[in-house]
Amino acid sequence: MRKYAVEFKGTKDGVIIFCLEDADFSEILSDLQERLQKRADFFGDADVKVDVGRRELSTEEKKALQDVIANNSRLHLSAILNSGKSKLLSASSAGRQRKNELQLEGFRENRSLVIRKTLRSGQYIRFPGDVVVMGDVNPGAEIVADGDIYVFGALRGIAHAGAAGDKSALVVALRLVPTQLRIADVISRSPDNSTLPDRPEYAYISDQRIMIAAIPVK
Amino acid sequence: MGEVIVITSGKGGVGKTTTTANLGVGLALAEKKVVLIDADIGLRNLDVVMGLENRIVYDLVDVVEGRCRTKQALIRDKRYHNLFLLPAAQTRDKNAVSPEQMKKLCQELKEEYDFILVDCPAGIEQGFRNAIAGADQALIVTTPEVSAVRDADRIIGLVEAGEIKMSRLIINRLRPDMVKRGDMLDIDDILEILAIELIGVVPDDEKIIISTNRGEPVAALNDGSPSGKAYRNIVRRLLGETVPFLDFYKNQSFLSRLKRIIGLS
Repeated sequence: MRKYAVEFKGTKDGVIIFCLEDADFSEILSDLQERLQKRADFFGDADVKVDVGRRELSTEEKKALQDVIANNSRLHLSAILNSGKSKLLSASSAGRQRKNELQLEGFRENRSLVIRKTLRSGQYIRFPGDVVVMGDVNPGAEIVADGDIYVFGALRGIAHAGAAGDKSALVVALRLVPTQLRIADVISRSPDNSTLPDRPEYAYISDQRIMIAAIPVK
Repeated sequence: MGEVIVITSGKGGVGKTTTTANLGVGLALAEKKVVLIDADIGLRNLDVVMGLENRIVYDLVDVVEGRCRTKQALIRDKRYHNLFLLPAAQTRDKNAVSPEQMKKLCQELKEEYDFILVDCPAGIEQGFRNAIAGADQALIVTTPEVSAVRDADRIIGLVEAGEIKMSRLIINRLRPDMVKRGDMLDIDDILEILAIELIGVVPDDEKIIISTNRGEPVAALNDGSPSGKAYRNIVRRLLGETVPFLDFYKNQSFLSRLKRIIGLS
């Protein structure tokens, strides 16, 4: 089966049409027309955004895109987006496969920052995604991430995962002994007499409280 | 070409100045040409500890502002002909010098001297930035106290972010008896947090206070004091020798030492 150059995706903000990174613009227009004609009724008069990936569209191209949508459906084009996200839709079959995998349960695609050193007192990391530290996070250091925090070392400082409100975010560390843990809007501190754990652990929110669980290692 | 070494700690009172003076003396004893720079402008101490206070005519600020030649401001030590002190100004503050000026000064001194030791002020502000500006390596001084270790960690982070290629740790004022009782952080506890190379451990020693007040660094006395020995060992390690660390637990029984080694206590 031929892969279309455009892909529809329903999100809570409406429909987004992703354009394949390496497709021709003319190909995108024709595929868009074909698919809209088939499925226009399904979408009704929703708002639609078109994500053109890293392309720079000229005024004429934008107009053409708008026309194709207007002429073939009742959708309202509300925005044209430029995101790197459509990299995932890239034509190679490997890419397509990865995309499919990502939709599986337990798979989550996110931006990540990898730090290959120890974070020391006074060092502060704010990142809108996951943060991975290959080293320790010492007391007085602080990581604030919108996603998960993974520490391949001892986490002794402050970690705030899901800082933008994601309650499913995790804090994982080989030795989880933080000064303070925060996930989304829940805060907890380690007990005053805590000792160094001897195994990797992770923290998560359950019932508005931060819980710690060991990661079994054989 | 000489080596510029900054002695720093973040926290005050952990022994930066004493360390600088003793390492300077130790290096001079090893026939090296050494300059000690007191970068603690406004709160100078190194001259007192060295017993050279009454010989100051020009200071660091005079040098960088061009009121004298560098050579004129260097005070020759009264005991060691190859040891010099560049004192800090007492009537100015840290902003009287810029990192660029310090860099230039260190560069100039490196041409002629083997070691330039910079005694860094406490804190992480201008004075600290000046002191580390021209340094090739750093010696981080800490005491076995949680607050000092925390500040050392902060300093190591700042030093790593700069141009200094190597930082090593000196643990000062260790009290083996307190460690044994579990009342003081042990060397291993400190190294676990700071995770940098250890270059020396100096035991707490009241001789230091006596010698500091007299203006005679303990490394010069060679009277068998454990602190003097520890400083001389650090000097040998600075010169590239491999020297085993002093055993502060030698009074313990064989069994308790064995327990320590295998991690049971």
